[in-house]
Amino acid sequence: MIIKRIYKSSWFVKVVFVVSLFAIIFIAGLGYKHITNLSKSTEMVIHTYKVNVELEQILSYLKDSETGQRGYIITQDSLYLKPFIEGRKKVNNSFAELKYLTSDNPEQQKNLKELSSLIDKRLDNLEIASNYAANDQTDLTRFKDVFQEGKNYMGAIRNKLNYMISIENDLLKKRKEEYVSDARFTPVFLYSLILLTLVLMYAAYAKINSNLEKLKKSNQQLEIFKESTNQSEIINKHGSWRWNVEEDSFYFSDNLFRLLGEEPGSFAQTIENFMKFVHPEDVEKLSSQVDEMKENKDLPFIVYRVIHKSGDTRYLKAYGKSTVNSEGITQLLGTTTDITDEIDHYNTLEKRNQELELNNKELQAFNYVASHDLQEPLRKIQTFLSRLEDREQDNFSESGKKYVERINNAASRMRLLIDDLLQYSRTNKSDEILKNSDINKLLEDAQQDLAEVIIAKNATITTVKIPEMKVIPFQIQQLFGNLIGNSLKYSAKDRNPIIAISYDKVEASDDQQLSKALYDEYHRITISDNGIGFEQEYAEKIFTLFNRLHNKDEYSGTGIGLSICKKIVDNHSGFIFAKGEPNIGAVFSIYLPLV
Amino acid sequence: MATDYTHIILADDDEDDRMFFTDAFDELKMTVKVTTYNDGVYLMDYLNQEDAILPNILFLDLNMPRKSGMECLKEIKENSRFKDVVIAIYSTSASEEDIENTFIKGANIYIKKPSDFKVLKKVLSNVVTTNWQYHTNGLNKDNFLLRL
Repeated sequence: MIIKRIYKSSWFVKVVFVVSLFAIIFIAGLGYKHITNLSKSTEMVIHTYKVNVELEQILSYLKDSETGQRGYIITQDSLYLKPFIEGRKKVNNSFAELKYLTSDNPEQQKNLKELSSLIDKRLDNLEIASNYAANDQTDLTRFKDVFQEGKNYMGAIRNKLNYMISIENDLLKKRKEEYVSDARFTPVFLYSLILLTLVLMYAAYAKINSNLEKLKKSNQQLEIFKESTNQSEIINKHGSWRWNVEEDSFYFSDNLFRLLGEEPGSFAQTIENFMKFVHPEDVEKLSSQVDEMKENKDLPFIVYRVIHKSGDTRYLKAYGKSTVNSEGITQLLGTTTDITDEIDHYNTLEKRNQELELNNKELQAFNYVASHDLQEPLRKIQTFLSRLEDREQDNFSESGKKYVERINNAASRMRLLIDDLLQYSRTNKSDEILKNSDINKLLEDAQQDLAEVIIAKNATITTVKIPEMKVIPFQIQQLFGNLIGNSLKYSAKDRNPIIAISYDKVEASDDQQLSKALYDEYHRITISDNGIGFEQEYAEKIFTLFNRLHNKDEYSGTGIGLSICKKIVDNHSGFIFAKGEPNIGAVFSIYLPLV
Repeated sequence: MATDYTHIILADDDEDDRMFFTDAFDELKMTVKVTTYNDGVYLMDYLNQEDAILPNILFLDLNMPRKSGMECLKEIKENSRFKDVVIAIYSTSASEEDIENTFIKGANIYIKKPSDFKVLKKVLSNVVTTNWQYHTNGLNKDNFLLRL
């Protein structure tokens, strides 16, 4: 696990290289030391042999001297004395050489000193013996003693030499052993070190390889991303750009060229070339905003126009943000979008709005005409009629009186129609503000308005406590007035009207009728009566304008009242439903959103 | 004013309405002097004369050519010379907007022209017999519109 983590870390390769470098330096050092040791050992062997050769030579010189002396003694010929004299010289030479060679070994120096005195003694002895021979005193016992002494000396010298040679040989053996163990151990160590280095290098190689593979993959993904960005730029009509402020160099995305009505890469990417496309009236504004962009990190959106070579004018919206890249260079990254379509839509909407406003004003003017100009002649007709009835009553024939009465009824009905229509069109007002209102009070006021009819019909109205709601108060009062008025108007002739008003809260999901609801919870106010009711098939029809279920001779009415109710409820984003059963009664349910 | 009758002026461009108005006072047999003007300009020309006898009650139709009742109301209320004149708005419409505006501008009462001559007589007699000194003190938006 840890190994895996180390392997995956980014500094793994670096560590491997450092470790390998040290390993190689170590290997080189070790190799150098080994070679140095080897040449030292060779030198040692040569040294030992040299010492041994010199020692053997000393012995051989001594032997030469001895042989020469013996020859002289026997022949008395001085010719034999020559090697004896030369031998002494040669021994001295060898001695000097040995002294130099064993200068690093105190033991051998000591031995050499002892040897030197032995050799001196031996040579002196030889000389004494030679002198005896020269004087022909070889028969003397003294000469024999001297001769015997010389032999002894010679034995001692031989022993000493052999001892010295054995010391050198021991040294050589010891050094050889050291060298051999060194030589045996070093290659194994070196080999394993090289092996380890190789393993590490291989791991590093594998790591680099896998990194390369990953890089290749991300490169591919980048390529795909770039392509999809290009496509999305085309679809969404936007282009992107980069501006290196310090170097004043630009990069435009392909689609940015297209936004200017040009083929990608068709002109050099400079601000001057870009500005050539900008609408003359917008150049100054854009330039100053571009200057500002250099200084500020964030800027609001810039909207400006460009003119294509084809003559089309397009609206572009740009946004830029200053960033510092990994190399510490400040760049502005920006996006530019073609918003011509949005602006066109906006303009169309604006135009429609203006038309609507105009229509609204016309409607208001119609309202005024209806309320004032239409009412005025009607009022005068009614006033003149009242004067006729008042003053000319006696001058009318019976049928004349009947006609006047009929005119009066028609005028009254016309007044009712005008009033109701006005009410209906005034209910249109959507700029009324919703405010928290005491619904119980509105209900009470509505009943107050109908007090006369309630008393005349001997009606019973029961209510419950209703919580406060956010409504247009006068509209809700009218809604109650219309619905209670409706119940009173369509009461059954054989019984006193009973109107029950109830309240509860409902979840939109619990009520099938609220399938189109926009809110989760609704207030439900129900007004039920025991009147003449209606066939359920008319439940929806009764809310449409001028729709009546009864002949106007039976029940007066304009067919507008319930339409007003529907409109009021619509204004409150609510619903109204009717349920009827002939001669049993009607139930009106009002749903107002709980907000 | 040292006169023993109530001086009443009506400014209304409608001939029929002026006739109903004067007829009603004729039939009421009250000690009133009724003068009518055909529009706001005639009315203001009269009122602005220095020696004009100011009315006790001025009935103003709102919708008149040349100068509307609303304009007359504004001018009258801006001139302290007319501060004692009781102003009754006398209009066909009874829109919330008109009622609100005239109330704010300082009219004393708002009368919707009735469609029954008998009701008209009742309304006018009510207005004339009201003690305006007292009524004005308790004036509020609820009793501004005359209801019978």
